Amino acid sequence: MNNTVIDKNAHQPLFLWKHLNKLRWLSLTTVFAMLVLIPFLHVYQTFVSAHTYDLLSVSEKQIFDTMEWLSSPFISDPEEQLDALKGNTWSGSFGGVQLSDPLAVLGQIVSSQAFYWPFILTALIPVVLTVFFGRFFCGWICPATFLYELNSNLGVLLRKSGLHIGNRRFDRRLKYLVLAIGLVVAVVSGSVAFAAIYPPAVIGREIYYAIALGGFGSGIVFFLLTLLLDLLVTRRGFCRYLCPGGALYSLLGRFRLLRIKRIVESCNDCAKCTAVCEFGLDPLHDQFGQECNNCTACIAVCPTEAMTFYFSPRDIANQGPGHLGRKYRQQNTLINQAEKTIDDK
Amino acid sequence: MRRRSFLQRLVYSTSVVAAGAIPFALSRLLAPAELLLARRHLRPPGALKNDGAFVAACIGCGLCGEVCPPRCIQFHRRDGGTQVNTPYINPEEKACTLCGKCTEVCPTDALNPVEREKVDMGVAQIDRSACYPWVDRGICGACVSICPLGDQGIDFKQWNQYQPVIQQGCVGCGLCVEVCPHPSLPIGIVGRSQGRVMGHTVS
Repeated sequence: MNNTVIDKNAHQPLFLWKHLNKLRWLSLTTVFAMLVLIPFLHVYQTFVSAHTYDLLSVSEKQIFDTMEWLSSPFISDPEEQLDALKGNTWSGSFGGVQLSDPLAVLGQIVSSQAFYWPFILTALIPVVLTVFFGRFFCGWICPATFLYELNSNLGVLLRKSGLHIGNRRFDRRLKYLVLAIGLVVAVVSGSVAFAAIYPPAVIGREIYYAIALGGFGSGIVFFLLTLLLDLLVTRRGFCRYLCPGGALYSLLGRFRLLRIKRIVESCNDCAKCTAVCEFGLDPLHDQFGQECNNCTACIAVCPTEAMTFYFSPRDIANQGPGHLGRKYRQQNTLINQAEKTIDDK
Repeated sequence: MRRRSFLQRLVYSTSVVAAGAIPFALSRLLAPAELLLARRHLRPPGALKNDGAFVAACIGCGLCGEVCPPRCIQFHRRDGGTQVNTPYINPEEKACTLCGKCTEVCPTDALNPVEREKVDMGVAQIDRSACYPWVDRGICGACVSICPLGDQGIDFKQWNQYQPVIQQGCVGCGLCVEVCPHPSLPIGIVGRSQGRVMGHTVS
């Protein structure tokens, strides 16, 4: 027992990792709030540029006043300076930096069959970050993830109240098929077909439509269907099995450098990490693979602080049962007994 | 076992294709037919000439709409088939002011910056059987006074007559359509290259 305690101290994860999950929720909430705020700021901008405060209706005046109150501490000329913050996670310009989803770039190259370098380079930063951090977009930024995780929390509540919630498993490689089919559809139809079925793009757009253009588009129906799929058939089903962007990010992040590892010396086989994993991965048996999005939920839930980050282009092989668990102890006592009998002989 | 897994995969892939077809099917179903008429369906300034190339280049991010000061750029939200989520301008509701912000912000080459005199969204056409001055029902001149290009775009026939005549410099921004006081809108934007004559009915 003494040995294990010493080992545990040697492999203590940084205290910060345990709180990263809260930071992640903060990040998701911020992105979603920005997606709601940007259309309102745009509406405010159009009111300012039209100089029509007296002609606005009561609710429009409320929007104007709220947005003026929010933005006036930071800017003096809303007509020009608010242009610094535009767009959504599909493509946007943030303080002069243009950023696009790699899937948008891929879809646009395929559908227009041309390379337009100014646009392709806007995906450079996300691609480089994905190569280092894996599928981090899915866990930390995606505005659809925000709603999907709330949806799975709703599923947990429903299950507690005794309702049947689907928890089927399919083949994870299905999403690569969706990516391939989407590329073929983009070539055949001559339009970026992913934009219609990629939840973050759909969410960003539909929020803008609802706020600035007076109503949701047809994409919201598709998004509600994916919410139902997640609730009734399989948890986080769209992200795990169908999302073309998730497929692209998984491929890019296959040899990511930042990975989560189980410290086998302090693990007690409680399997909370496997239960909490939104993507249905199996941290308890060291199976992360290219689908892990470094969301750190397993680090946060681990009661023995047996999860940590490490740098490596590959996952480590299955390390066997945790050293604080019953299985390991039984094995070890058997081995000890065998050694004892050998010694006795 | 192999046949079973093959069948499973077949079912999965069919359902994937079906799921992808849902938004398109919905957009087809919900499409009001008259929205696709050329006179109510202008592309933003600086758009690629070939509409197929425009749809292929546009990723549907909505940035052009998000910077538009008069909020005239709308999107095919529930209609348009493969054109779903692409931008358009309906000058009867809100017309373009040729500020060019959308061409600067577009991340792809769907909208390209152009000088405001070189913009080609179409060309205005007047139905002289309905326009008030042309049928001697009074004086108007709203279209001439709003034109952002001055007398290059639209001008009076003679100095003392209020009968408007489209000039060579018209770029088809549609502001004249927006301000036209006639309920049946005898002025409209038509495609320049197609040589289409505006369909117009007096209501």
